Amino acid sequence: MSHAPSTLTERVARIALVVSAIAVLVFLVAPILAILPLSVNDSEFLTYPMRGWTTRWYESVFASEKWRLAVMNSFLIGIPATVIATVLGTLASIGLAMADFRGKAAISALILSPLVVPIVIVAVGLYFFFAPLGLTQTYTGLIVAHAALGAPFVVVTVSAALASFDRNLARAAASLGAPPVTVFRRVMLPILAPGVASGALFAFAASFDEVVTVMLLGAPHQRTIPREMFSGLRDSFNPTIAAVATLLTVLAVALLLVVEALRLRAERLKTRAGD
Amino acid sequence: MQVGSVGSDAREIARAGDFVRFDKVEKSYDGRTLVVRQLDLLVARGEFLTLLGPSGSGKTTTLMMLAGFETPTRGLITLEGRDITRVPPHKRGLGMVFQNYALFPHMSVRENLAFPLEVRGVSRAEIGERVTRALDMVRLGKLGDRRPGQLSGGQQQRIALARALVFEPKLVLMDEPLGALDKQLREHMQYEIKHLHERLGVTVVYVTHDQGEALTMSDRVAVFNDGRIQQIDRPRTIYEHPDTAFVAQFIGENNKVDGTVTALGVGEATVTTAAGQAIRAEAGPGLSLGGRALVSLRPERLSLAHGADAVANHFPGTVVETIYHGDHLRVRLEALGRDDFVVKAPVSGSEALVPGRTVDIGWRVADGRALPIETPA
Amino acid sequence: MDRDVDLAKDLKRAERRRRMTALALIAPLFLFLMASFVAPIVDMLRRSVVDTELAEVWPATAAAVKHWQPGAAAPDALYAALGADLKASAEARTIAIAARRLNYALPNGRSLVLNTGRALRADDTAPASWRDRLIGLDPAWGEPATLVALQQASGPATDFYLLTAVDMERDTAGAIVQRPAQQSLYLQVLGRTLMISLVVTLVCLLLGFPLSYLVANAPARTGNLLMILVLLPFWTSLLVRSAAWIVLLQDQGVVNGALQALGITDGPIRMIFNRTGVVIAMTHVLLPFMIMPMIATMKSIPPTYMRAAVSLGAHPAVAFVRVYLPQTVPGVAAGALLVFIMALGYYVTPALVGGAEDQMLAYFIAFYTTSSANWGLAAALGVILLGATMILYLVYARLAGMGQVKLG
Ligand SMILES: Nc1ncnc2c1ncn2[C@@H]1O[C@H](COP(=O)(O)OP(=O)(O)O)[C@@H](O)[C@H]1O
Ligand SMILES: [Mg+2]
Repeated sequence: MSHAPSTLTERVARIALVVSAIAVLVFLVAPILAILPLSVNDSEFLTYPMRGWTTRWYESVFASEKWRLAVMNSFLIGIPATVIATVLGTLASIGLAMADFRGKAAISALILSPLVVPIVIVAVGLYFFFAPLGLTQTYTGLIVAHAALGAPFVVVTVSAALASFDRNLARAAASLGAPPVTVFRRVMLPILAPGVASGALFAFAASFDEVVTVMLLGAPHQRTIPREMFSGLRDSFNPTIAAVATLLTVLAVALLLVVEALRLRAERLKTRAGD
Repeated sequence: MQVGSVGSDAREIARAGDFVRFDKVEKSYDGRTLVVRQLDLLVARGEFLTLLGPSGSGKTTTLMMLAGFETPTRGLITLEGRDITRVPPHKRGLGMVFQNYALFPHMSVRENLAFPLEVRGVSRAEIGERVTRALDMVRLGKLGDRRPGQLSGGQQQRIALARALVFEPKLVLMDEPLGALDKQLREHMQYEIKHLHERLGVTVVYVTHDQGEALTMSDRVAVFNDGRIQQIDRPRTIYEHPDTAFVAQFIGENNKVDGTVTALGVGEATVTTAAGQAIRAEAGPGLSLGGRALVSLRPERLSLAHGADAVANHFPGTVVETIYHGDHLRVRLEALGRDDFVVKAPVSGSEALVPGRTVDIGWRVADGRALPIETPA
Repeated sequence: MDRDVDLAKDLKRAERRRRMTALALIAPLFLFLMASFVAPIVDMLRRSVVDTELAEVWPATAAAVKHWQPGAAAPDALYAALGADLKASAEARTIAIAARRLNYALPNGRSLVLNTGRALRADDTAPASWRDRLIGLDPAWGEPATLVALQQASGPATDFYLLTAVDMERDTAGAIVQRPAQQSLYLQVLGRTLMISLVVTLVCLLLGFPLSYLVANAPARTGNLLMILVLLPFWTSLLVRSAAWIVLLQDQGVVNGALQALGITDGPIRMIFNRTGVVIAMTHVLLPFMIMPMIATMKSIPPTYMRAAVSLGAHPAVAFVRVYLPQTVPGVAAGALLVFIMALGYYVTPALVGGAEDQMLAYFIAFYTTSSANWGLAAALGVILLGATMILYLVYARLAGMGQVKLG
């Protein structure tokens, strides 16, 4: 566009586009940044302007039995759920990519449906379903629920990695004398690893931010970080919440950067010879 | 029946020089259409055999059956007399070069080359030594620590070649290995592969759809069409004495003149066109007196020189246009009932070839080949 | 020849083995989801038509009332059964279940049942006529509406909850009619849910398009950086983002402060704990889901098309509308559908930044499950929400293709 002498209207359109796009970016990012400074604001109130610097809100978070328990619960539920989702999701993706059979479309639609089914429906369903099994108010129940919600994330990322996997690589390995297990371990797995890892991170993040099932299925001593945040926001919104929010945001940025790095790595591996 | 066939197999296999053997191999992916039909093929030890044919003619499928990635629907494949039809690929010990090289992107060049040796349990020290030797062989000794993604197309090609050879297989398969390279690099690599073949004495089965590549590299060429081998022979024979109209047309340029066989002698036939012009040509296989035939004429074997009376065939033609090609001139003429008759003429002395001028086209009996017109099977 | 047959058979067997391996790999997740996801949902949906509460505490009444024809006089046997059940359940302290169930269908049903039960428990004499005794305690027992309610509650299946979920009921003659306005709520909630989702989708579309265009057409390095900014909210906790909007939009918040400083308003404008807050916060949450498919689509549109159109003499604006826009439709449609589907089921955001009038279907489903234990109604509302979601999901799957579901 720059080579041709652009008309005034074109220039105006271009400027309008850039300005509105930047405004939307600000809308997306600024609110998240806005809450961070309040976590070190020396005031009971969550308002600007800042009154002075303090670390007492962080101190009170770290000293609090409630938050210590919440962190423990979040990991106690999130990690096993992620492991289950990752193992089952990876196996299923490999199966789905392996062969065509009748009903495959229906099966993949079902496997992916936890991504879109309203979480309330899942939570209420489990609430009734778990009661006679004695699984309400247990860690097992919450882990199972979160694993089901996380598995489709793994299926999506691993399937994408498999779709771009060059079948000739497996053939080349076999032609060089590698038996099937070696082909899987030394060629397929390393190339699929970034996809599996980002799927696992997605699944973990989904569990780590899930409120509704914890609210319906969890016992009082099983409150997770988001569950405590939910209560805090409704009942006593104070700067300790801002401190927790800041910590969660740092974690989010870390996860985001790791997933992006994995994506770039997968892309590099994908760039086939000669392309 | 069963006993008999095993007996005859054993006898056939014992024949000298049979290194690889396809015996009545057929392949169908969908259970209905045959992609490879009734394929009999012998590959001699140490030879460079090229499978040549248009896209979709079944070359890759044939190669994949030899490599073990596809199972024949019918028939038998043997390697050094051993039935390998059901042997899985990793136990066949064949080297293979893929079109897109299939270098492992997560391993360095050296790791790629070490892979076949590692899975064979070769000792660390020997692996290092052999990998270095293989890298030197393709003159890329300095690039061992790079990842494939950091190499140019030609370098990746050479690494793929080195990887397929490093474990010293007796047979190497290549499926359009030069297809992704530009023209100049491709020609260079053709010589390099050819020289490696000669130096190592390894047997090569090579797939391409590029006739030039096939003619320059091979000891023998098998021309594929529609799942069948049309002709298998030395490049020169394939080019100069095609057995079928398909081969004549697929390899090299040719003028086709059709007519009826009016005389059939030893090695020579006369084909008369609809306009009554009689052409004498070398007789291909399968001609019958009174049957339809076409005469295939290579443009470079025709001459426009004046006084062509000395040769057996000469016919008048009218120049339509001439195109300058640097080393020669392409002359398009109206002749023998066609308006796309092409003759390659030397550039010198071509001043007279102006459009509209009538000239004399002449050729020897041996420069034309009469072939039966194929009726679709 | 035997060998040929063998080979063909081998091939078939190999193919079958491959398929079996594939199924074996899929099976663990499939079975896990069946048990932990599909079965619970089906079980919940079942509850929207199952109605056995009354029959469990008042079995004789439930059996007797089945034979009664609405409009006909109630037989003495029915009253005898009802009286005996009332008294027995009052003594067994299970009467509250029947009271709660009748209260769904009958205004004052709870007090009618509980008061009658209390009176019967205090009095051990067997009455000559249960009809007279009950009607003497409360004339409501003689009204056809009460008997209709009893009959509808007698199970084992009912359309009562599903009808209630769309503000309908059966009248005394058993015909389906609109509920009186003061008892109508759910159509309004459904309408509100659809409306909020629609507005959020449109706002996402409007905001997402220019940003997607910019990201898709930026040089790779800038594009990657912009993409990280787009993904930051996607990874940030929903709770953090709700907290952020409360801080920003509250009366003493940054936005109101800025508006007042700029002299646009005198006093604070209410922007949180109302519809505005819900739409803003939900847009913020769902915008990345709109942007990602749009960027993917826009990246796949080669710039040559626009250049070709302009070279053919089209004004750039015309080329944009006629050549570029139509090619973005798949991405835009996929993004919009995804946002709409996800918005429909939202619970957390409206619960945190909305007022009482802004709660969506999901809120009422959770409410009837936990707070008021009206499980039938919770299930019936669930049927509606899940039905809408699944229909749109199928459209989405068809439109985008299941393989197209992508993340990040
Ligand atoms: N895996 C496959 N499944 C089904 N059909 C195939 C497969 N591979 C090749 N074919 C079909 O078999 C025919 C021959 O293909 P191929 O052997 O690849 O030919 P070539 O290598 O000569 O181009 C083609 O019609 C092709 O479409
Ligand atoms: Mg091929």
